[in-house]
Amino acid sequence: MNYGERLVTVENRLGLHARPAAELVKLAAKFESEITISKDEMAVNGKSILGVMTLAAECGSVLLLKAEGADAERAVEELAKLLAHNYQEE
Amino acid sequence: MKQERLIKGIAVSPGIAVGPVYVMRTELPEITHRVISRDEVVAEADRLYRAVVEVRQELESLMRHTEDRAGIEEAKIFSAQIAMLEDQEFLRAVESLVRDNLLTAERAFEFEALELRETWGQSSSATLQQRVADLSGIQTRVLHRLLGQSLDDVLHEAGDRPAIVLARDLTPGLTVQLEQGSVIGLASEKGARTSHAAILARSMGLPCVMGLVGGIDRIRSGVTALLDGTRGTVLIDPTDIEIADAYEREGLRLELGRELESILGQPAVTSDGTAVALRANVDLPEEVEAAAEHGAEGVGLFRTEFLVVGRTELPREDEQAEFFERIGRRFAPYPVVIRSYDLGGDKFPAAFRAAPESNPFLGWRAIRVCLDEPDVFRTQIRAMLRARASSDVRLMLPLISQVEELVRTREMMALAAEELEREGIAFGPDLPLGVMVETPAAAMMVEELAVYSDFLSVGTNDLTQYTLAVDRGNARLADRFSPLHPAVVRLLRRVVDCALCRGRDVSVCGEMASEPLSILLLLGLGYRVLSSSPGALPLVRWLVRQVDLAAAQRAAVAAVEAATTKEVIDILAQTIGEHVDLNLLDAGRLSVR
Repeated sequence: MNYGERLVTVENRLGLHARPAAELVKLAAKFESEITISKDEMAVNGKSILGVMTLAAECGSVLLLKAEGADAERAVEELAKLLAHNYQEE
Repeated sequence: MKQERLIKGIAVSPGIAVGPVYVMRTELPEITHRVISRDEVVAEADRLYRAVVEVRQELESLMRHTEDRAGIEEAKIFSAQIAMLEDQEFLRAVESLVRDNLLTAERAFEFEALELRETWGQSSSATLQQRVADLSGIQTRVLHRLLGQSLDDVLHEAGDRPAIVLARDLTPGLTVQLEQGSVIGLASEKGARTSHAAILARSMGLPCVMGLVGGIDRIRSGVTALLDGTRGTVLIDPTDIEIADAYEREGLRLELGRELESILGQPAVTSDGTAVALRANVDLPEEVEAAAEHGAEGVGLFRTEFLVVGRTELPREDEQAEFFERIGRRFAPYPVVIRSYDLGGDKFPAAFRAAPESNPFLGWRAIRVCLDEPDVFRTQIRAMLRARASSDVRLMLPLISQVEELVRTREMMALAAEELEREGIAFGPDLPLGVMVETPAAAMMVEELAVYSDFLSVGTNDLTQYTLAVDRGNARLADRFSPLHPAVVRLLRRVVDCALCRGRDVSVCGEMASEPLSILLLLGLGYRVLSSSPGALPLVRWLVRQVDLAAAQRAAVAAVEAATTKEVIDILAQTIGEHVDLNLLDAGRLSVR
């Protein structure tokens, strides 16, 4: 069982709201690993859009990405990349 | 009497609609409590997933319609809703309530949705609060399906005759579906400009007013109303004169819109051929594209506060350098003027511990914070020097009032450049340094400030506030706050004369640069670089093209001699009236917002 985690900053100015959140969970769903995203004390399933939206992550929020499973490292890598680069969206 | 008929809200989609109001009650359907037997569990879960599939089809059809009518970007609102609908974690939770607690599918769904709605509704994030409407939209659809009712019945009732639909909250789905009927305008108690329903109404060209607090209690179905999506008001029982008036304004707004569109891509030159550079003020990264689309020749004021406000730690040098460089390259070959942190008053990041002040506008803010927190400032200077290696970024300092502030910044720049050199990091050593002229002190010291700076830019909002000693946020003083006060006009003349005389670039980046009368004055005084918010650029461009420079110069000379604000305004209005239809400008002022 592999494990990966990374701290990332949300770059989208409007934060991780509906559309960026939809893109994030779509990517998360492609991985076998279980993915958890946490902000402050709240942790949610990274494959659940309702969960991710509930985090109400604004621009500049720092999130902790965790993945557990066969493709954990790659999952963390690609999700972090998406979070860091979708600032132009909307 | 008249005041009672007028209900004020938020203008979210411009345009006028006159017609009967239909008050739509799309409250969530009543669910009765019923327990199922163990044998029914499988069938009940089946019913749940069937409803989800059916709602998915509804949303997909709305998405296609939205693509046609509003655009692909807008249609993504529905792909997000589909993802919310099919959230596996949520559906599994609903299913387990059915299985373990023997609830009906609708009861279980309602239960789970309610919990989420409460969390979102109480969130400190305004964006998340607005997404409750998306959640309600999905919930309403699923519950209607499970109860075997059709949402279309409600909609048909509303769409039978041309009507203004008033709802407590407009969901995106409802907005798009209503548009298919004969709905002429939309109004709601909840929601704001950034609500998904508002975005859709705008791209479909449907007039819409939101935030009509208490609207449902004050307006009955069937009464005639005038909805003004440009001003953000609903007027009950309008008179013929009021209607004619509104349509006239609307006509002018559309006419101006066509005019502005017709000159898109044309240069900002006065009618006698003098070129004016139009730059954009950018507060947030997502405004960058809007600025570029409206033909901004660079950025005249790039605010950096968004980098820190609301964040728990300050952004690193790498992050800033990469960001500045990206923006700089986006506008090449034009310059991007980046203002160092203008923190203070209410604008402090969580990372700072600033004691409350009794007079924050005269307190520890802007350049004063930068110089007292050298680590923070040095990071920003280094990031800009690095970005300068491959782009035309320039550094501007806010709230300068002393020559020493410039001298100290120059010293820090030299030290930072030495460090970068030693560390072998690429940077541009020729980073231009500019002064934001916002205090009477800076305006009076332009000659000396010019010695240590490469360019100057007037921030007219603060300059007005500090010159007139009028707090621009104080509603009681609103009529005393005028950048066209003769004292401000004279300082503006002083700044442009002294700067040009010393061979320094000079521009205006305050709100004056997007106000028609002020633009005439600024051009007349000799300013040739104006920086405005991206949305105002088309109007500024159009106005510059109407101006005859000789007339503007005569008006400016007279304005400098004037004794009162009213005299200044009269002089400018008279001159501008010779070239432009003033009614058109009134409409323009509204459409700029």
